[in-house]
Amino acid sequence: MPLQPLGLLQGTVDVLILKTLSRNPLHGYGISEFIRRQTSGDLAVEDAALYQALHRLERKGLVESEWGLSESNRRARIYSITPGGRKQLRSEVVELRRYVAALFRVLEPA
Amino acid sequence: MPRTFRFPFRSRSRIASEVDEELASHLTMVATRLKEEGWAAPDAEAEARRRFGDLEYTRQYCRAEDFQREQEKSRMIVFEELRHDVSYALRGLRSSPGFTLIALATLAFGIGANTAIFSVVRGVLLEPLPFSAPDRIVRVWESSKSLGIPRGTFSEPDFLDLRTGSRLAESIGGYFFADGLTGVDLTHGGPPERLSAALVAPGFFETLRPRPLLGRAIAADEHTPGRNHVAVISSGLWKSRFAGDSKIVGQSITLNGDPFTVVGVMPQEFVYPAPQSLDVWIPLSNFGPDAIGRGRDAHFLSVIARLEAGVTPTRFQTEISGIVNRLSGTYAENSGWDNASVTSIRDSIVGEVRRPLLVLVAAVALVLLITCVNIASLLLARATARQRELAVRAALGAGRGRIIRQLLTESMTVALFGGVLGALLGYAAVRALVASGGVQLPRGSNLHVDGFVLVCTFLVSLVAGLLFGAMPAIRAAGPALEHKLRTSTRGSVGAGAPAQRLRGALVICQVALAVVLVAGAGLATKSFARLLSVDPGFRPEHVLVARISIPDASADTLRGPVYYEAVLDAIRSIPGVEAAGSIRDLPTRGVGEMRRAAQLGLPVGAGDADASVQLHHVSTDFFKAIGARFVSGRDFQLSDRAGAPIVLIVNEALAKRYWPGENVAGKVLHVGNTDLQIIGVVGDIHQRGPSEPVEPTLYIHALQNIRAGMSIVIRTKGDPMGLAGAVRNAIWSVNRDQPIAELTTMEDALGTSIARQKLLAWLLGIFGVLGLLLGALGIYGLLSFAVTQRRQEIGVRSALGAPASSVMRMILGHGMALATGGVIIGTIAAALLTQQLQAQLFGITPGDPGTYAEVIVVLLAAALLASWSPARRALAIDPVTAMRQE
Repeated sequence: MPLQPLGLLQGTVDVLILKTLSRNPLHGYGISEFIRRQTSGDLAVEDAALYQALHRLERKGLVESEWGLSESNRRARIYSITPGGRKQLRSEVVELRRYVAALFRVLEPA
Repeated sequence: MPRTFRFPFRSRSRIASEVDEELASHLTMVATRLKEEGWAAPDAEAEARRRFGDLEYTRQYCRAEDFQREQEKSRMIVFEELRHDVSYALRGLRSSPGFTLIALATLAFGIGANTAIFSVVRGVLLEPLPFSAPDRIVRVWESSKSLGIPRGTFSEPDFLDLRTGSRLAESIGGYFFADGLTGVDLTHGGPPERLSAALVAPGFFETLRPRPLLGRAIAADEHTPGRNHVAVISSGLWKSRFAGDSKIVGQSITLNGDPFTVVGVMPQEFVYPAPQSLDVWIPLSNFGPDAIGRGRDAHFLSVIARLEAGVTPTRFQTEISGIVNRLSGTYAENSGWDNASVTSIRDSIVGEVRRPLLVLVAAVALVLLITCVNIASLLLARATARQRELAVRAALGAGRGRIIRQLLTESMTVALFGGVLGALLGYAAVRALVASGGVQLPRGSNLHVDGFVLVCTFLVSLVAGLLFGAMPAIRAAGPALEHKLRTSTRGSVGAGAPAQRLRGALVICQVALAVVLVAGAGLATKSFARLLSVDPGFRPEHVLVARISIPDASADTLRGPVYYEAVLDAIRSIPGVEAAGSIRDLPTRGVGEMRRAAQLGLPVGAGDADASVQLHHVSTDFFKAIGARFVSGRDFQLSDRAGAPIVLIVNEALAKRYWPGENVAGKVLHVGNTDLQIIGVVGDIHQRGPSEPVEPTLYIHALQNIRAGMSIVIRTKGDPMGLAGAVRNAIWSVNRDQPIAELTTMEDALGTSIARQKLLAWLLGIFGVLGLLLGALGIYGLLSFAVTQRRQEIGVRSALGAPASSVMRMILGHGMALATGGVIIGTIAAALLTQQLQAQLFGITPGDPGTYAEVIVVLLAAALLASWSPARRALAIDPVTAMRQE
């Protein structure tokens, strides 16, 4: 029996979206698929949370969107990362690294 | 070509449908994948929804986020455009410093004048009076048609009868106050000081009901002798003399040598009945009948009343008139005093300055209007010169609205900068006005630039900006804009002609407004000059004035005259003093004691039974010191004292009225068993001020009829103020504790009586000059621009042999035609508007033809002058260069 997907820590959805978009522009479904594939299904972003995060990020000016076509020629809203978003991503990754490292220094002392 | 470029702002419904579409597209993609994985079609769609999570909440959340983003974006864009427009405007203004400088300077002045005058109007006319429910308080006068006194004061018995007789007033109060005359001496550890005091009768504080700063007002039972040694002091005295001591209430102070308990301190804005400042209020009952007469013939009490709710002043007036009329039938002393007059207390305080202030408001509004017209005209010229630039912007996609907005931003930037400068200027002007103290306005100490005034200044600036910016902007961004790119402004004959016509109309307006201002200025300054040129009947130069009041302890008939002469002798012995004398009331500061002519044995005619004369108490050498002219007879001598036959000196007005053509010196008046001999006639002294006629007047020697009040008049050899210290020491050599109420030059003492007319003349004069300059500037600007625009045409004319004189005539004619139009309109407007000045003018009517003739000549001369230089420039145009320029 496969393991249950992990729940997500608050705020991690944003950084996952930004990281995904930093590779290339994508629509919402594509983002969710990418994250699922990348983590072999260990991380599942709930669709509702994903879309809320996308619109929130757009308001903050970290991503922008326009209507385009999906691979299957369907009309879809395509998101891309803005320069501000890239900057945000870099600082969030640094923060997350510190966080995880600190966490593991406690959980698995050398 | 679509000119309006719209930013893609999304509407609320558009946002909603886009979110719906995005979410639907996601669900479809998920369902498609599920079907590929083997789900049945309906199940796949349901599963997609199930996996999505809370679809409805997400939909609302996304819509809200998008809507907020849209709003922020549109705000950003508006802000961005504004920032762009402002920076563009600033750049434009920097690049034409001449225009900017003129616009800012004239606006600063126009708005500054408005700020200053509005502060005055606010402080004097608009701010609420410091009484509770002031709308119910009225001032009451007793009037006598036969004596020619429409607004007289009451006697104490009459006042008490009003209090018991009136049913319509909640309370009736009285007071005795004369600015600079009623006072008490304060001796309280320090130099003795003369305080200005209001002597209040019962009902005064109950009627006005001011809110005390500390303590309380004088209570109803504190007018009774024995309990009446109480005083209420003003905030000014409290701060200056008692250092704002919070424990002042209950303390004892010495007034006129007696201890008084301070029961309260009034707030700063409460100085009633003084116009500007007062020190102390004490019960009138502290002054017995020996000091202030209490018979029915002694009219001295001013009366105020608080009406019952719902009672109109008219109804109250009917009631009071009835009472007064009854009294006049009952008591012989009241004969003639058969009517009453009632006005709101506000009118009684500021009524007489309302009109002049409104005249000034109108004048500053005109100044601002003419300033706006001037700037509008300059902007029109600028827009004509900038046609190409604007056309380029239009061609690049800027819409008409966008260009108007941009030009308006420029105007608004100018207006707001002008407003800031104007507010500073106005603030400085108000400070100067208050500091000079020469305002002489009721509530004049109340002037300041407050938030309300600043908001008004801001609004005025905005309106001014719209006024001068809107029309040029709309015109400049006119529909023909795109054609202008194709035509060269300079080359085409008649380019900008409509704009020039518009400017012409504006110049006519400017000249018309200038005529109104100059006419007002001319009338006010002429009136003031006539006021100054009135011979007052004495020579105020080189005269020092000291006012004292003989202390009660020395004021009896035995010691008074000794004290009186001792003070004068001490002053006369100062080196540099040519002559010194004394009178109770200085000219313009009081009218002595009014007496019925018949009672003094003057030969009054049958219809003249109530005629009155002024009686003044003077010393020897008074006429010499003040510089009056002796017509005949002699001055008083020291031998004319108590016990010696009583002698009088009369003025020419009295001599002419009662014994026309006769030799008056030597006549004898019989009053009862006493004979009064007239020993001399002096020239008329304008006792009520230069604008008032001289009344028949009698002078009596103070040594024969002593009065406590002394206004000592000292004629000096050099600068009078140089002797001020010596005079003070001379007075104190007689009595170390003698308070000196005032020590100043005669010219300063008189100056306050005409300060208001002076201020009006000065302000209207300044506004007139400014109006004239702006009007001339308008003509000059228009013609200069026209000459530049018509360079080629003029060049061609010259080349074709037009004589210089015809070119000159053309330009001058243009200028003079505009000026004439403006003068005609302006003269009509001025004739209507200056009627409002009627009451403020002395010796000149608002329709004075001479003044109008001068105004017209001055305006036309200014117009000619303003046209001259552009015309000269037109003559200097070299045809060859002008034609080659294209």
